[in-house]
Amino acid sequence: MSTRILSGLGLVLLALQAQAAPMGFKDSWMSMGDFSPNWREVFANYATTPRDAFGLGYTYMRSDDEEQTRNLAELNYTHLFKRWNLRDAQANFWFIGGIGALRGNDFDGTKTMVSPGIQFDYETTRVYFSATQRLYRAHDINHDFSSVRAGFSFYETDYDQTQPWFILEARHMNDLSDKVEVTPMLRLINKNYFVEAGVNNSSQLRFNFMYIF
Amino acid sequence: MKKFVVFIALALASNLAFAASSIRAEVNGMVCAFCAQGIEKKLKNLSQTQDVFVDLKKRVVAVQLKDQQTLAREDFTKIIQDAGYEVSKFEVVNQPLADIKAELGSSK
Repeated sequence: MSTRILSGLGLVLLALQAQAAPMGFKDSWMSMGDFSPNWREVFANYATTPRDAFGLGYTYMRSDDEEQTRNLAELNYTHLFKRWNLRDAQANFWFIGGIGALRGNDFDGTKTMVSPGIQFDYETTRVYFSATQRLYRAHDINHDFSSVRAGFSFYETDYDQTQPWFILEARHMNDLSDKVEVTPMLRLINKNYFVEAGVNNSSQLRFNFMYIF
Repeated sequence: MKKFVVFIALALASNLAFAASSIRAEVNGMVCAFCAQGIEKKLKNLSQTQDVFVDLKKRVVAVQLKDQQTLAREDFTKIIQDAGYEVSKFEVVNQPLADIKAELGSSK
């Protein structure tokens, strides 16, 4: 039993999405993009409360051998289970889920895909950690996504300045890749934008962004 | 009569910032400029607001109010909470924003 619990916790800690937080503040729209040759994701959501956001997303997935491709269009929902606002840090525990239509080059028509997931993140002005586990399931298909990120800022900045960070991400997409993708990235955070860029261990470019309206 | 005067004095000393020039608050959890932009946007949209200053290093949010304008502590706290943070200290000061920035050591 304890092994199962530990395994579950391990899974929680072995995953993450591209963003610092998967939604903006109440009554705001947030858009996000995560681009690489094998995984391209864009979504936008609207925060109806400080804890809930509803949105639309599109994800393109491709296997390492470039034989398999997937296109997922989904409705998604984000919920903040718990936030810890500390004096010099913030930590969050999120639910992220979606349901949508999946198309693939190795089957006809569409399949319904559900994608429930959880995310934990912890951040100060100098260090960052995040882990996400998200299931991507449809009939006979399992592309579960796991990721973990950790990083540090090079120095503290004022609110109006751009802060550079070093972020290291490891992630895995089930049944699309046999290996763990590792990407060192430069992150730039400004009060108006959030961008990341790096090169993964397959020598592929990665680019992520977030913008809040 | 004495009771009435005491009541008025207490009311003035409580949550409302009557005719004071600025609000200075300490905010917990405010560690990222991108995530904290909601605080600035929401406060700047208020009709009472002259200007807003956010100091990430010292976790301070300051609001200079327009002349004769007030902002209740409850309203300020609600805005901070809607942006995802918590107010740990709230005070009304008779200082312009420039003085608060200077105190905090900001060059801006």
